[in-house]
Amino acid sequence: MSNTGQGTSYMRLRGVGDSLWVTLDPTQPEDLLQEDLTKLFGRLKHFAFQARVILDPGATHGHDDLIENLGTFLKENFGVGFVSGPPKKRSADEEQSRKRDVNRSWKHRRSEVLILAGRVRSGQKVTAKKHLLMMGDLNPGGEVVAGGDILVLGSMRGTAAAGQPSNEDAIILALDFRPTQIQIGGYVAAGLPCSPGTVAEYAFVENNAIVVADYLKANPFKRLPWPEVR
Amino acid sequence: MEGQIIVITSGKGGVGKTTATASIGAALALDGQRVAVVDMDIGLRNLDVVLGLENRVVFNIVDVVKGKCKLRQAAIKDRRIDNLFLIPASQSDNKDVLTPEEMVRLGEELHKEFDFVLMDCPAGIERGFENAIAAADEAVVICTPDVSAVRDADRVIGLLYARSITPKLLVNRIDAKMVERGDMLSHQDVVDVLSIELVGLVQMDDQVVVSTNTGLPLVMQKNSKAGEAFCRIAMRLNGHPDLPIEEPRTQKGFWKSFGQKIGLKN
Repeated sequence: MSNTGQGTSYMRLRGVGDSLWVTLDPTQPEDLLQEDLTKLFGRLKHFAFQARVILDPGATHGHDDLIENLGTFLKENFGVGFVSGPPKKRSADEEQSRKRDVNRSWKHRRSEVLILAGRVRSGQKVTAKKHLLMMGDLNPGGEVVAGGDILVLGSMRGTAAAGQPSNEDAIILALDFRPTQIQIGGYVAAGLPCSPGTVAEYAFVENNAIVVADYLKANPFKRLPWPEVR
Repeated sequence: MEGQIIVITSGKGGVGKTTATASIGAALALDGQRVAVVDMDIGLRNLDVVLGLENRVVFNIVDVVKGKCKLRQAAIKDRRIDNLFLIPASQSDNKDVLTPEEMVRLGEELHKEFDFVLMDCPAGIERGFENAIAAADEAVVICTPDVSAVRDADRVIGLLYARSITPKLLVNRIDAKMVERGDMLSHQDVVDVLSIELVGLVQMDDQVVVSTNTGLPLVMQKNSKAGEAFCRIAMRLNGHPDLPIEEPRTQKGFWKSFGQKIGLKN
């Protein structure tokens, strides 16, 4: 703890963000701490009025009563606005996810998605380096090839090859899923049975085979804690 | 005012391009338009037979393009229908004998001579197709309600769009009973996939075979459902685009059943 020049002080005051962060020694008696607070906040004068104050008892836990009492003391004597303890630390998992999210921030990322609107007709072939988003239909005899995922917001009746040449994590999604043939990575599936009604379906690789499932029911990305760049 | 050149195409063979060309051409001519039907199927000409004009062929389109005769010499006038002319294909050449550039020049001449020029395109998407669409202003894509015809029509539609020609769709040989049973694609299924403007629906009709074999245009045959449909299609192409499209339906009801039972109707 720093020496204030008029004796030993058991607290330190810092400005953190829009708050006043007060680090204190919770082992000291409360009246001694109040005395130190009076010295610190007396010098602040009107700067303490309506200020946000964080009382940090350090690494030790279980000082909620002390923080509440000192908070009441500060509010009554110096008119501070809001007093709280230090924010709780996040779990290791949450911290890791946040760190990864920040590392892979999409804010400055160049798009690798080819977005097309219209209809791919028989005999036409569309190739995308990574993901392909088709706002329209893929007709029988038409072909779409992508290095990543293929998403068709329409009727898919032609041939779709996703994850080319070897990305088996890719998916193929269509609102009306009736392809002639699909490929994901090195896997090929043909003659897929039509589902009753029109539901959004998607194909993915599981246990060395292509599986087709109802996209909304399966919701394959629901377990991701944060939006990730794909 | 210059006429317009309409190419009748399909991609797939045997879907009724020649019948449609002859029928629509005859219907337009009966409506008072000066019409030329041009057989672009060099080496495999058929349109002269369908129109019953095979014994009057002297010159053909290759002769016109190569300057061996004039357009008016090659154009055979139909004696039954005023204003209907046939420009036949050569039976002894192959499709490479003409080029798209030559067809564009011929098209300029045809524009001046006729109100409507219907080009009967050969099957396929090679040189014959290129020649047929080179001078075309519009296109009618014929498609039958089967998967292979739809796929070929779709391919042709893509090629037409690539040449800035917006095609119209004619669904031919619809069998309403088979559609009802679920054994045949409905015209809505075809339109869903091809997604272009529909110009008409023509139902399956035995009279087509009679017409082809006798050389009497379908639109001149009495009681031909297909002939009536082609007449309506011709009207839509001839300035009445909003004429309602009649959907082929199976005839039902007591009198129909009764008539069938006592042998009055088929």
